[in-house]
Amino acid sequence: MAASSRRTVISGIGTLNALGQNAASVWDGFLQGRSGIRAIRNFDASGLPVRIAGEVPGFDAKNFVEKKERKSLRMMARTIEFAVAAAQLALTDGAVDKSKLDRTRFGVECGSGLIAMELPEVADASAASTNGQVEQVDLLKWGSEGIPTIEPLWMLKYLPNMLACHVSILHDAQGPNNTITESDVASLLALGEACRILERDAADFFLVGGAESKINPLSMVRQCLFEPLSHRNDDPEKACRPFDRRRDGLVLGEGGTVLVVEDLEHARRRGARIYAEVAGFGASFDADRVGHGLARAVQVALNEAGIGPKEVDHVNAHGLGSIDSDAWEARGLAEVFGACSPPVPVFAAKSAIGNLGSGGGLSELAVSLLALKHGVLPGTLNYEEPDPACPVSVHTGAPRPVTKLHAVKVGFTQMGQCAAVVVRRWDGERPA
Amino acid sequence: MRRRVVITGMGAITPLGHSVQSMFEAQLAGKSGVAPIRRFNATAFPTSFAAEVKDFELARFVSGAERWANSGVNSQFAAAAAQQALADAGVLEDGRVDRTRFGIYLGSGEGIQDFPNLIALIAQAWRREGRKFDAATFTRNALQSFHAGHESEQELHTTAGHLGAHFGLEGPNYNCLTACAASAQATGEAMEMIRHGDVDLMLAGGSHSMIHPLGVTGFNRLTALSTRNDAPQKASRPFDLHRDGFVLGEGAGMLVLEEYEHARRRGATIYAELTGYGSTADAFRVTDSHPDGRGAIACVEAALKDSGLPRDQIGYINAHGTSTKVNDLVETIAIKKVFGEGAYQVPISSSKSMLGHLIAAAGAVELITCVMALRRGVLPPTINYETPDPECDLDYIPNQAREKRIRHALSNSFGFGGQNISLIVSLL
Repeated sequence: MAASSRRTVISGIGTLNALGQNAASVWDGFLQGRSGIRAIRNFDASGLPVRIAGEVPGFDAKNFVEKKERKSLRMMARTIEFAVAAAQLALTDGAVDKSKLDRTRFGVECGSGLIAMELPEVADASAASTNGQVEQVDLLKWGSEGIPTIEPLWMLKYLPNMLACHVSILHDAQGPNNTITESDVASLLALGEACRILERDAADFFLVGGAESKINPLSMVRQCLFEPLSHRNDDPEKACRPFDRRRDGLVLGEGGTVLVVEDLEHARRRGARIYAEVAGFGASFDADRVGHGLARAVQVALNEAGIGPKEVDHVNAHGLGSIDSDAWEARGLAEVFGACSPPVPVFAAKSAIGNLGSGGGLSELAVSLLALKHGVLPGTLNYEEPDPACPVSVHTGAPRPVTKLHAVKVGFTQMGQCAAVVVRRWDGERPA
Repeated sequence: MRRRVVITGMGAITPLGHSVQSMFEAQLAGKSGVAPIRRFNATAFPTSFAAEVKDFELARFVSGAERWANSGVNSQFAAAAAQQALADAGVLEDGRVDRTRFGIYLGSGEGIQDFPNLIALIAQAWRREGRKFDAATFTRNALQSFHAGHESEQELHTTAGHLGAHFGLEGPNYNCLTACAASAQATGEAMEMIRHGDVDLMLAGGSHSMIHPLGVTGFNRLTALSTRNDAPQKASRPFDLHRDGFVLGEGAGMLVLEEYEHARRRGATIYAELTGYGSTADAFRVTDSHPDGRGAIACVEAALKDSGLPRDQIGYINAHGTSTKVNDLVETIAIKKVFGEGAYQVPISSSKSMLGHLIAAAGAVELITCVMALRRGVLPPTINYETPDPECDLDYIPNQAREKRIRHALSNSFGFGGQNISLIVSLL
């Protein structure tokens, strides 16, 4: 990035979502235009108005953790397991020889959110404290009979910082370690911060990620009460339709992504295969959610990258699929890209994998990194009828060739926290 | 040359008072904020006491308090402390301040579950005989009885989001949650954003309360809390031989960080300069810190290096000092390793002996304590220090505040799970 001579590159991708459990199978799914949205199988969802989501079928964290480390899995909620699995995938993809890393210059940064507890773990304690009537919950009984039934390490399974903590412990990463908890934009903010840390020479090598699963009874109830979720239970693959006129709400996904992010010279020294350079980053708060703040984050990131909107191959949108959110996003993007002719194509990964929450930003960015590498951008699913309220040019249908070096990833929360990242395809020794 | 970052505003809502002044005066007087828990009936819990914020009413601090009507006390404390800090810095109404270059970085904790409601719902869905959880029953009933507003206010981005919206701060908006290191880490990273030039001003700090049934339950199961139920005010006794765990506190601490020239141009009162920041991880275990203090040592050294100060210039250390067996021992080992023989000369105290442990909010409140100590030339004590621990043999400022003019103070914060943060503040 601009303010220092140090440059930051991405040299490994670990990603899991409804389309697959590594970057190759996820990429294959996107290229083929597959949707990962199905009827929920993680639990009995028959009591909910929304019974579809993008689950990771057959996920078993044991497949990603060395045998001697598997006992630590009992301290991990599913969200944490996704982060740990993605970290291992990233190190493998990046061909990282851990024995050659300086542990004190090896950082970890994750986006994370509230992790819902697994309710059966406190069920005996709950039953001991009440007959099921709210007004009869007895804290004396909870204290005396309930608390002793709960596992000693119970709370540790659900602390948001445990994604980054477990990753640091499993891989002996003793450098800076942070957990950004900003809902859907968390992992993009984590990437921005990790780049700043690398740039100011406080670390050389980072695992940056995010993961989340809200496909459990407690989180699903809460989500049903918040944002409009798509109710297309009968047609799950068509449910997530970012920017389409007939969109009716978001669809939850699960999984996570961890990227190897390192100083360019460090990457060169270890002979890394580089996907892209992180060329620019911007963050902002869009208080009224009208799009100005989002546009400002994008503009800051483009300025830092030293490029204009016309030099962008595609925008990788937040593309939530809810009516209001897509409209203000489109207005924000139009502020920056509206004058470009031909229009800059907009891609929305959630159409295939759903919303991965704190893991979403980087999981979606991974698609752009793979697109830059392979030279083709997959199509957005379910974009059938343009919406005049969404003035963006959505790329849909068959993959299109990538013609320019830069991709822009944007993300935000429903309260207005925004971030934008510019990545530049790595073409060797091109000067900054 | 690197952009310098100064502190131009502070605010605090704590168990020892609802302002920076009252909080600091109470510390100088050696008062304890600990008492039996009033917020819920904890009498049958292994630990039945905590340091609660007393008689707090948000409407006394902010206009438009209805924005926080569904929020937990965590976000309400944050709003009040933020209002104080912004008013203190004189930036609430200052038209010269570019709001797009004014961001927020909090280390704030989660909101608070409606405990009786959740527990009743779980009990309704638990089939004890078959030991089976009926998810359909749970979800059906929960959809009826959950309050959407209370649920959404538990989300971790809402505290910082409300502050951004209410105070019109349009720069980067972050929250980190790294357990007990969070608000110190937030302050450090906020400083780095100003240094880098992303922004000119940041509202930094944190807020938290885990004084609720599930919070106390979780820490009790981990056997991390003191269980000295017969003498709550004696329970938090950092570095004392008979310490038996930490005491939960709650509250918020907020600072306005500002680029030095920016602060000078608008004639702001500059309390202190933030001169050093270190951030490392133990990478050891989720349950324990590294026994040699590996991460803590590297962290303090990184902060010193960042400040460019020789170690003998540090005139006071506000310790993490939780009052657990392991933390206080490891922190002592780390201070000895970094400061060598000089470790015996530098006065150290733990605000947690009086405030309890504010978890995510602890680092910010303790940094504010350091700034006040610099400004006033008085160092707060460690109370309840009665029986020296032969393994903890440094100068912990036992029981009485001490007059001492210092120019540089170090504040340590170590998070559960291994994140270590050190910050250094200096008089200009």
